[in-house]
Amino acid sequence: MSEATLERGLKALKEQIDTPIALFFSSCTHCGMCATACLFYTETENPAYTPINKVEPMRRLWEQEYTLIGRIKKAIGMSKPITDEELEEWQEYCYNACSLCGRCTMVCPVGNDITYMIRKMREGMAAAGHAPEGLIGASKRAVKIGSPMGVKLPALQAQARHAEKDLGMEIPFDVEGAEYMMLMSSMEIMNYPEYMEAVAKIFRQAGKTWTISSEAFEATNSGIQIGSSDIARELVSRVVTAAEKLKVKTVISPECGHAYTAIRWEGPNLIGRKFPFHVKHILEVLDEFRAEGLLKTEGFEEARMTFHDPCQLVRRGGVVEQPRNLLNMVSKDFVEMKDHGIMNWCCGAGGGVSANEDAAELKMQAFKRKKSQLDELNVDTLVTACANCRIQIEEGLEENEMDIPVVGLTEMLAEHLVEDNKTEG
Amino acid sequence: MTEITNETQFKQGLQQLSLADQRAVGARFVEHVISLADDERISFAIRVAKNKDAAEDELAAAFKSAKAAALDCYTRCGADADWSEQAGYFVARAASAIVAPEKDISGDGPAWTAAMNSRMARTCSIIDANTDAESQETGQQYRILEDLLNS
Ligand code: SF4
Ligand code: SF4
Repeated sequence: MSEATLERGLKALKEQIDTPIALFFSSCTHCGMCATACLFYTETENPAYTPINKVEPMRRLWEQEYTLIGRIKKAIGMSKPITDEELEEWQEYCYNACSLCGRCTMVCPVGNDITYMIRKMREGMAAAGHAPEGLIGASKRAVKIGSPMGVKLPALQAQARHAEKDLGMEIPFDVEGAEYMMLMSSMEIMNYPEYMEAVAKIFRQAGKTWTISSEAFEATNSGIQIGSSDIARELVSRVVTAAEKLKVKTVISPECGHAYTAIRWEGPNLIGRKFPFHVKHILEVLDEFRAEGLLKTEGFEEARMTFHDPCQLVRRGGVVEQPRNLLNMVSKDFVEMKDHGIMNWCCGAGGGVSANEDAAELKMQAFKRKKSQLDELNVDTLVTACANCRIQIEEGLEENEMDIPVVGLTEMLAEHLVEDNKTEG
Repeated sequence: MTEITNETQFKQGLQQLSLADQRAVGARFVEHVISLADDERISFAIRVAKNKDAAEDELAAAFKSAKAAALDCYTRCGADADWSEQAGYFVARAASAIVAPEKDISGDGPAWTAAMNSRMARTCSIIDANTDAESQETGQQYRILEDLLNS
């Protein structure tokens, strides 16, 4: 890489140093507590995977550029300049070894939002040309095709036709004035199409109107994962435009963790205004239906089960009680993992890790933490609410020869619905 | 003479079968889409499901390998969609349904689950071919069940 390119990279990184970042760097006491909260560190004991170390080049830049002592050291040649090799090395630390799970942020005694810092670090790294190939490809497809996995509308329509045949009801597309607009993740469209059927069955029973926009059905936001606000903004804007056009009251984020963070928490900031509609995760909506008496289920699962909390739902969104309320409707033998709810351990594949082939081995090492949690419980079934968590856990269980089926909560509920003859809205 | 013309009849027809018969008819659904997957583990699952005397450990071994086959060809989050590989994923899922040990059988039974996943496999192959062709899989499955019920 040429000096000019490195210069551009450093400039990009420097641009990410805002007031919170500067405050976080200056208040870090180097206590190391964030390391014990990070599964990439605990499962590998690699000190380079200490969360705060994942932003070390940015810290050095901050020190050299924005602190008096750093400037003096730089002036007299006592500080080491950041090199391109270092940035390349840090690609592994801030992309492969971080799922943006947010657990480190929960334990930092001085309140540093380390996850935010890593997000910012990724912004600089992406601009400096140090993002993983897998994430670059996914982001390009997201912008060009509308889906990071290249899922086009005809593919979704084909899946919808399949669901319509199975259910004997219409999957509503582009219905103006529907109460809810359903987003889908490409992962669900491709690997778990039963999610769409489950949603359709539940909404039919609840008597609620819903629709899918043919112009913006994708929930996944690769811009957030790679660290590009421009891409993230573009993808959020498409959803906002579609929701406004269809005049829906609520946009529903599907069983996908980071999609929820992207549209609900980062979305309004990205586009610089409030949304004229609500954004909710599917589990929040289903729990509202439950509270209103609109969900009628019958029977209970015989299996002893537990719930894996997707990080983005619990830590970023506070969606803790809703899945448990819903599980109680269909399970009498439900047990919690030792660390559950807001301190649950990540599956190891969020934040773009699963899209990043360079991280394939590491994500399985990180899965060992989930394995330990499950080893303590002796459960027959694991339930979750994120398609990405689900496939990572399925793969991890397979690799560790553990025979535990993994199911999506929405689908499980749909299987217990009392069949009645209400027609869809 | 039983004739199946809709999903309700199809589901009821499957549910009146014994577990062994559900596995066997499910095996025929999978056989019908096996050309969409190139994996010996799927053929193994079909053989075991068709064998009404298959022992529990045989079922468990076939289930494990069919599940592994599915995990070998699913599309990773963020990876470029390959619908032909994805068809193989659903064939493998259908294959794992027909040999699932009793405790792992999902709500509607092995044959129904196999039928749904086989249809998904066919849908994926149609998406892959980029045509407007309508999948004939549902009708084919009705005929397979009729054959069994009328035999
Ligand atoms: S966000 Fe999660 S994975 Fe990333 S450094 Fe923090 S604890 Fe580790
Ligand atoms: S936990 Fe907070 S204060 Fe301690 S090392 Fe990590 S970032 Fe610094």
